[in-house]
Amino acid sequence: MDNVYRSSGFDFSNSIRNHSLAEKGLPLPKATSTGTTIVGCVFKDGIILGADTRATEGPIVADKNCEKIHYITESIRCCGAGTAADTEFVTATISSNMDLHALSTGRKPRVVTAMTMLKRHLYRHQGQVGAALVLGGVDVTGPQLFTIHPHGSTDKLPYVTMGSGSLAAMAIFESSWQPNMTREHALQLVTTAISAGIFNDLGSGSNVDACIITATGTEMLRNFVKPNERVEKERKYTFRRGATAWKSESIRKLIVNEQVTPVAGEAMDVS
Amino acid sequence: MWGSQAGFGSLVKGVPSFVIPSVPDPAAFLRLHTDDHADPSCKIKIQHGTTTLAFRYQGGVIVAVDSRATAGSYVASGTVKKVIEINPYLLGTMAGGAADCQYWETYLGVHCRLHELRNRERISVSAASKYLSNLVYSYKGMGLSMGTMICGWDKTGPALFYVDSDGTRLKGNIFSVGSGSTFAYGVLDQEYRWDLPDEEAQELARRSIYAAGHRDAFSGNTCNLYQVKEDGWQFIGNYDITKLHYDGPGEAPGNGYGYDIRVEGQTSTDLPATAGQA
Amino acid sequence: MSALEYNGGSVIAMVGKDCVAIASDLRLGTQALGISSNFQRVFPMTDRLYVGLPGLGTDVTTLYERFRYRVNMYTIKEEREINPETFAHMVSSTLYQHRFGPYFIEPVVAGLSKSPTGALKPFIAAMDLIGCINFAKDFVVAGTASSKLYGVAEGLWEPDLEPEDLFETISQTLLNAVDRDAFSGWGAVVHVITKDRVISRTLKARMD
Repeated sequence: MDNVYRSSGFDFSNSIRNHSLAEKGLPLPKATSTGTTIVGCVFKDGIILGADTRATEGPIVADKNCEKIHYITESIRCCGAGTAADTEFVTATISSNMDLHALSTGRKPRVVTAMTMLKRHLYRHQGQVGAALVLGGVDVTGPQLFTIHPHGSTDKLPYVTMGSGSLAAMAIFESSWQPNMTREHALQLVTTAISAGIFNDLGSGSNVDACIITATGTEMLRNFVKPNERVEKERKYTFRRGATAWKSESIRKLIVNEQVTPVAGEAMDVS
Repeated sequence: MWGSQAGFGSLVKGVPSFVIPSVPDPAAFLRLHTDDHADPSCKIKIQHGTTTLAFRYQGGVIVAVDSRATAGSYVASGTVKKVIEINPYLLGTMAGGAADCQYWETYLGVHCRLHELRNRERISVSAASKYLSNLVYSYKGMGLSMGTMICGWDKTGPALFYVDSDGTRLKGNIFSVGSGSTFAYGVLDQEYRWDLPDEEAQELARRSIYAAGHRDAFSGNTCNLYQVKEDGWQFIGNYDITKLHYDGPGEAPGNGYGYDIRVEGQTSTDLPATAGQA
Repeated sequence: MSALEYNGGSVIAMVGKDCVAIASDLRLGTQALGISSNFQRVFPMTDRLYVGLPGLGTDVTTLYERFRYRVNMYTIKEEREINPETFAHMVSSTLYQHRFGPYFIEPVVAGLSKSPTGALKPFIAAMDLIGCINFAKDFVVAGTASSKLYGVAEGLWEPDLEPEDLFETISQTLLNAVDRDAFSGWGAVVHVITKDRVISRTLKARMD
């Protein structure tokens, strides 16, 4: 086996094998891609980000309550849509680099810095890293809101949506967004936009996550609204113990019981 | 069309014909939607995995099949009847398209009856199988998928024919059809004799279907066993493949076919409990 | 048929009351042909941490060896056992490192994690083949029977099952799901991890 502490970056060592498997008729499986509704909007005191909590594998709901609002810094957060692993790792990498950047400059890094790091990373990989992001935060220049597309292009707008539910959510923003909204009003709007995605887009679902970022602090409202709570089962399905036939058993005791048995005999000679 | 008008009672008006989609090439159209080798996500999945076998011997013909139906990797049913009872003297087996086999072998039954009425005697197995073979040949290249064995007893004694949708028709003593056929042939070829007693012949068929049900992912669940004798066919029984593995066919346990059941406590990696404790 | 389905196999993990269970089938095949009915794809990493590796057979072995090596190196360097959370991130980053030439494995991690107070907390997680982690509070599934496992587990799982009840629930979920999957089955093994012991049982399963 080769060295564990390999150099950073992607490892292509399986590519030749996988290519030959593909030629033999075993195509590359598709990675988990999330249908999603993510939004962001500017209001009077800062930024509100919103996301649904459904993760899908094709037609299957893999996770009914996942987190799509990722931490970048204390005052910058990022919603992710697209290939699930890519959004997870690209935000974690940039979060880490933002910390290093803060340490080396001695300043709180700005949202544009995170945005530039993300777009450079995505552009460098020519769309192969499939992350569609909504980046928002508050820095010395005030509230900032961006969208970043998988190929590295960016937008700077007062209200944005992304993911498969972006059309449903944008319909809400287009009809109801106003400049200088209050915190309550903006939060209500974001919730409505995400709900539009949850109920009208099959790729989105479950709960509403929201994150309010202002100059004074960040408030992560995990599962802010839960409009799809599962009703309690009316019947229990526990099996009678011993219902499953098994052939062999091995029990590994993790707690060692030591019993000290004094052996009869003379006392040790300590003279 | 309704009632007897829709079914075989309308033969006076000529042979019923199929409704063809109004596209330039109906066969290509059908293939586009049913060929899951070319396109695994095609809309109509035709049943493929199966093990069926039949053999001729001194006491008649033994027919045995599994009962699993799969759609892709999904086990759609474990209780499929893959032996088609054409009439009291003729059996057909089902491999390939389930609907194709069911429809055309029932259709064959109609014509066997017409033959009886016209000629005042039962149709020979040879003639019946040839009728089917000629019929499917006329649809060659249009998407029919059948691999069937026509088994019966006629003036010549026990008879067995293999017929498939390519138009092949073969007379023989032993046949096995389907994705698990290679496994069934393995057991069958090893133990087959012409002078097998009835009991042993049934056991051989069961054992062969078990082997296929065990090894082949697309075969399994249960084994249906039939025997054809001079006075027509007879259903012998339905056997759960997992029960055959652990306990064997009889009521008394301890005669399991399974390899690990037979060698339990005998191999160097799996010594008897007493030896292990010594 | 993708490389993930070539050899077949499935894994499921469930949370119970102060315990977790992880179970898998034992089939290794090449497409329709069954090869082995004793292929282990669930491995212990520490006393109270197991990993299930459903997917391409060659990668099951490769990744198991790789994780075993890295867990040993971690134990030596840190002079402590690895946490399930830490291990899950190690698996995840190993898979993501191969983002553009992946291993065909969808790992499942199950174990009891030690909180700073010393209390043990159930932990389960599943990943896709490039390392996107799914932390779940109830159950996780992976492998060729995953779609069937989701359905059965959704119906049978309930919170706070005692170890013996969790064993019955996870066993019946696995057994009934793999019976509807052509590429999984041929025997099954279940591990129930509690604070003082690990119970491992091989089940009597359908053999077709």
